[in-house]
Amino acid sequence: MIDAHRLIGPVPFDDLPSDPGPEMDRLGIDQACATHTLSLYSDAQAGNEALLRLDDPRLIPVPVVVPGVTGASAPAELHEVLGWNVRMIRLCPERHRFDLTGPIALRWLAALGLSVAIDLEETSPAQLGTLMERLPEQRVLLLNPGYRRLRAVAELMAETRRLWLEIGTVNTQGGVEWLAHRFGADRLVFGTGAPIADDCGPRFLLDHLDLEPSAVDLIAAGSLSGLM
Amino acid sequence: MTVLPERADVDPLPERADVILDAHGHVGDWPDFLIPDPSAEGLVATMDRIGVSAMGISHLLAVGPDAVRGNRLAAEIAERFPGRFGVWQVYNPHRRTPLTTESVWGVKLHPDVHQCRLDDPLYEPVWELGRPVLAHAQTDSPWSDPAQFAAVAARRPAVPLLMGHTGLWAYGFARAARLAADHPSLYLETCGSRMTGRWIARLVDMIGADRVVFGSDACFLDLRTGFGRIALAPLTDTDRTLVQGANLARLLALPQ
Repeated sequence: MIDAHRLIGPVPFDDLPSDPGPEMDRLGIDQACATHTLSLYSDAQAGNEALLRLDDPRLIPVPVVVPGVTGASAPAELHEVLGWNVRMIRLCPERHRFDLTGPIALRWLAALGLSVAIDLEETSPAQLGTLMERLPEQRVLLLNPGYRRLRAVAELMAETRRLWLEIGTVNTQGGVEWLAHRFGADRLVFGTGAPIADDCGPRFLLDHLDLEPSAVDLIAAGSLSGLM
Repeated sequence: MTVLPERADVDPLPERADVILDAHGHVGDWPDFLIPDPSAEGLVATMDRIGVSAMGISHLLAVGPDAVRGNRLAAEIAERFPGRFGVWQVYNPHRRTPLTTESVWGVKLHPDVHQCRLDDPLYEPVWELGRPVLAHAQTDSPWSDPAQFAAVAARRPAVPLLMGHTGLWAYGFARAARLAADHPSLYLETCGSRMTGRWIARLVDMIGADRVVFGSDACFLDLRTGFGRIALAPLTDTDRTLVQGANLARLLALPQ
């Protein structure tokens, strides 16, 4: 079982455990895609360096990339990203105030060829639609899609097969099954956003989905492997 | 001191120490977003799947524009599934919805939807009724901030009052617990998309397990996610038993 969305490190607004290991053990989560909180709440590059230093086999690093002109990007040079040897990067266009579908972001993503994780609160379905049109090979994991914008997210999933959905916040009654029946469990990915967001509820949900065991297995780990 | 009402005139619960009762449920559609399965049948199937004995419901039509018709629909659902649903009859303060003490768990208030502060005198018939009250709470809302719950609880200490969502926003959970601490008739209810298993354990530490009550907000939210926060929260078995159902059974005076 892989949690596709986990944070490590301190946050400024709460006292949360910075080491995800004990909670992952308690909830039976084998691995987690992790982003360092410094990359979100402080300096993106400092967070990435801290993340890549961890060398923990249970954590799959998802560093944050900030596309930009020379002197405004993280990392400083595009080729440094390839040196990280990671399978997915995270973009925060709202937080870092860059244009997800601007020329530099599109050039960087085309050159990298990596899967990209983006929080829905950092973008919009329309912007993601444009991104997928402009980059026909780009794969995207949509983090924190929530439940209130299910119609718009479903429309986006219907338009492209290169969008995967983290289910941790798909939190309206029967929402995960509804998505699985329409788009396939291979498009859905277990993830939590812990420790800021809840991991107990999504973990319990995974064990009690009204889906075939093979579909649950895909959501628990298989779909993410396909994405990355 | 825990405030107990008279024994409720509702169906008895299964005789189990670990009974699971959901304090905060709904049936029906809501305009803001798609609810894939808003049906009572779907809720019962999920309740059976995870072992929830009974759920208190208000119909979302009643929370919205037609409390009388929505309350009637909720009562019909409770009759159709004996013992599985208790009814929170919605009181619309502007329409002075008729209230009953027969076959209901109590009264549901939604100060934000109705745009009427929880401490408004328009709610007097609700407090006079004397049955438990579940009210939407939202930190910093002009209609339902937790401070208004404390004010009402101080004025009406004989009425068990469930603070829905514990104030909804994570930044307000600790304050909600502090505001509730000195009012034994006030309970923190756990549903909401910002709640976590970790926060539930914190609330139990802050105010005591006997003052925290499981709610899911299903079908608005997914019952399994809501209960999972209780089932997998870092709680002792004794505390979990209280939160997941024993507290609600006690405050509703339901036979256990």
